[in-house]
Amino acid sequence: MLIPRRVKHRKQHRPDRHGAAKGGTRVVFGEFGIQALEHSYVTNRQIESARIAMTRHIKRGGKVWINIYPDRPLTKKPAETRMGSGKGSPEWWIANVKPGRVMFELSGVAEPVAREALRRAMHKLPMKCRFVKREVGEA
Amino acid sequence: MSEVVINAETRTRFGKGAARKIRREDKVPVVLYGHGTEPQHLMLPGHELLLALRTPNVLIRLKGAADELALPKGVQRDPIKGFLEHVDLLLVKRGEKVTVEIPVTTVGEVADGVLDQQLVSIAVEAEATHIPTGVEVDVEGLEVGTQITAGDLKLPKGATLAADPETLVLHVTSAAAPVEEAAEGEAAEGEAAEAAPAEAAE
Repeated sequence: MLIPRRVKHRKQHRPDRHGAAKGGTRVVFGEFGIQALEHSYVTNRQIESARIAMTRHIKRGGKVWINIYPDRPLTKKPAETRMGSGKGSPEWWIANVKPGRVMFELSGVAEPVAREALRRAMHKLPMKCRFVKREVGEA
Repeated sequence: MSEVVINAETRTRFGKGAARKIRREDKVPVVLYGHGTEPQHLMLPGHELLLALRTPNVLIRLKGAADELALPKGVQRDPIKGFLEHVDLLLVKRGEKVTVEIPVTTVGEVADGVLDQQLVSIAVEAEATHIPTGVEVDVEGLEVGTQITAGDLKLPKGATLAADPETLVLHVTSAAAPVEEAAEGEAAEGEAAEAAPAEAAE
């Protein structure tokens, strides 16, 4: 599972959930990809689960790229705790994904196989997504 | 390659408000520059330009506000809806040689292993009015370990390579190990890392 080795600040503010992705909106490494259509925090568990879902479907061959990294910690206070007494403890590692972002890419498999593999992976992700293909010769 | 004739109008108002108004009228803000001339700010009909840009390196003949030949240099699209937000056009002249990126496509199936295509487009020098639409690579029956470099590509007539001939275009690698074993191995590593996330983060 993806976890940062060390971070500058152990507890951070929650990241901004507004606006669209500024970069990483096209398929550049592989031939097919999953593009986010909504804002969401994607946890490292969800990324790993999606990766396993797609790699199990493609079996042998094919190459997978993960273009997002869960570098932001989210904290949580224990249940039935009164307010105050400082910030809660780190609970999740998340990637802040904005609409338009291509999160996973795949190559080396036929399109029907890629579509099914990425459809399975999309079910593991917390937002609406779509299947995208690399545009040939796009300026 | 045939030219696409598009009627251009001059833009007089600038900034995001004016640009948004232009887009609401189904037009696209465009800037035309090159050959040391002053940039010309134009607007083109959105649908016609969208259809024209489906062809890689399409040669656009502008009429109306500017009577010039141009090539698309940069295209900004909305990442979700895909409509054109802004286009940079590069001024070209008939007979002039230009360096453009043309798509590299593969034909056929490799004999064994996985085809790993490193380059999906390659820089070539060609006459502005005769830019090739792409270059095809026949990969039928290629064995594991075969490499095809930019120098090995059979470029269309009139085009010369503008990239390093030693650049790797594609190679055939052996198929990856069965996924189940690899996934389980990584899962075990993941648990080990998860056991001490707080310590690692501190």
